[in-house]
Amino acid sequence: MARLAIRNLVARFPGLDQPALDVPAFDLDAGARIALRGPSGSGKTTFLNMLTGLARVPEGHVTWDGIDLATLGEGARDRWRAANVGLVMQDFHLFPGLSALENVLLPRRLRWRGAEKGAREEALGLLRRTGVPRPDQPVETLSRGQSQRVAVARALLGRPAILVADEPTASLDAEAGAAVGALLTDLARETGATLVVATHDPELIERIGRVAHLTAGRLAA
Amino acid sequence: MLRFILADLRRAWPGALAIALIIAFATALGITVTLQERALRLGSARAADAFDLVIGAPASETQLVLSSVFLQPAPLPLMPGAVMGELAADPRVAWAAPIGFGDAHEGWPVVGTTGALIDGLGGIAKGQGFARLGDAVVGARVPMAPGDTFHPVHAELAAEGEVHQGTTYTVRGVLSPTGSPWDRAILVPIEAVWQSHGMEAGHDKEGDARHHEGALDADQPVNPAAVAAPNAPGVPAIVVRGHTIADAYNLRQHYRGDRSVAVFPAEVLTRLYGTLGDARSVLSAVAIAAQALVAAAVLLVALLHVTQRQRQIGALRAFGASRGVIFLIVWGEVALIAAAGVAAGIGLGWLAARLISARIEAASGVAMPVEFAASDLGLVLGLLAAAGACALIPAAIAYRQSPAAALRG
Repeated sequence: MARLAIRNLVARFPGLDQPALDVPAFDLDAGARIALRGPSGSGKTTFLNMLTGLARVPEGHVTWDGIDLATLGEGARDRWRAANVGLVMQDFHLFPGLSALENVLLPRRLRWRGAEKGAREEALGLLRRTGVPRPDQPVETLSRGQSQRVAVARALLGRPAILVADEPTASLDAEAGAAVGALLTDLARETGATLVVATHDPELIERIGRVAHLTAGRLAA
Repeated sequence: MLRFILADLRRAWPGALAIALIIAFATALGITVTLQERALRLGSARAADAFDLVIGAPASETQLVLSSVFLQPAPLPLMPGAVMGELAADPRVAWAAPIGFGDAHEGWPVVGTTGALIDGLGGIAKGQGFARLGDAVVGARVPMAPGDTFHPVHAELAAEGEVHQGTTYTVRGVLSPTGSPWDRAILVPIEAVWQSHGMEAGHDKEGDARHHEGALDADQPVNPAAVAAPNAPGVPAIVVRGHTIADAYNLRQHYRGDRSVAVFPAEVLTRLYGTLGDARSVLSAVAIAAQALVAAAVLLVALLHVTQRQRQIGALRAFGASRGVIFLIVWGEVALIAAAGVAAGIGLGWLAARLISARIEAASGVAMPVEFAASDLGLVLGLLAAAGACALIPAAIAYRQSPAAALRG
């Protein structure tokens, strides 16, 4: 269960007077779901980077369950993200040369201590649940919809408390997009994860139910 | 982690293979220079091993050794025939044999000598030694068998095809292999050489190759005393083995004078190695420069590659791989390719040295031992360490990459 509290978050890019991101206060309950909308350049990517610890919090506080990401160094943020965040991205970021199953397991296997016992069974279960019929299929041969299903399975391995998706349906056709959108929301509900999705997809927004608009770095619920 | 590296290499195998090959060639260059220089040095030293001492007329010591040990054809001045007689009577001498050059048969040098040299070179493997003046013993690499006959050609005139028509030798025996140029030699009694060149005892024409043609009485028995006679014809060189090393030193001292010069083949070779060593350091410098160039090129490729894959590296970070793991993956991948290249280069270098040595061996008869020495380990470890150090640079760049910046790419 992960509860988010953002206070006085400000991010600037060099050479720009207006802050790229300016969020005085934003809260999410554990297990909540929210869609994030905004034109490109509105600060969505920056906001997601702050939420997930991908980038340093330059000013203010991003606190998940009492852990303020602003106080963590790069290595600590990596460890925190590995333990708490599942990520799904627009262009999948599957690694060619590996099978679907190996892709799901990769983040675990790239830890110093390797994947824990049972990870393989969990991964197989998730692939079944996301509807990937052949776990040993090389990812290069998968369709886009199948690829994103593998990416969703990868994000959910280890039952992260936070699920963040960046335009997960944007590069898919309507049918595959609907399936992936349903998977994300259903699985977030099943695991109790807090779900944050940046998207323009009206069907997905409707499915999520709650939407926040980001305009010129300012957030309006 | 290793599985990820291997999957990545499998996917990008043509590029990885090309880089490994470039590294292999650069490594092979250095290995070949080292191995080949060693083979030349060991090979020539072993070839010279049979003879303690070479005695000739006062002239170039280097040429004397090259002609007697390596059978390099060159006109040598003659020594008075009496020197051989003195040596034969000297109690410090285990054996001494005159050698007379000048003739050849189909490119194989025909050398006049005595039975002492046959024994000194390791004896007969097949057949028998000299009994009559028309008998010949061939080296292990000469493609003739007992019973074959031939007419020698005067070497200096061989191009013009002057055959000693009156001279016919019959092969009687084959020498045991020696791994020296003598494996390519045809040995005949030195008296026969004198006869066929019209240089009978007492008619010695000092140093002049322009002799009148004589006929060889092939059935005349070999007379070992003839070479030791005080009025024997002159010879260009005598090879000597002393009973002890001290004897050899004494003999060397004794026969250095205005009549003759005595040298240890080893001392002449040492001088030649000095020259060889200089050439080797030049070649080694060239090889090291080539390796440095290759290292720079590989580094450039690795950097381009890492930059090109910013997004992928960023994604690995985003999914929870730590910076240390990323560093290790990039380093491991570059180091693995480099190590494979170095390993292949060692094999390639060895193979190249073997091929070069085989050609030299076929041409000269000098056995070329291509072998690794303990010091080569240092060279290989040095190359591996350099490769490992170079791999640190792309790894460090990957390490410093921010996952967020990478994803924006």
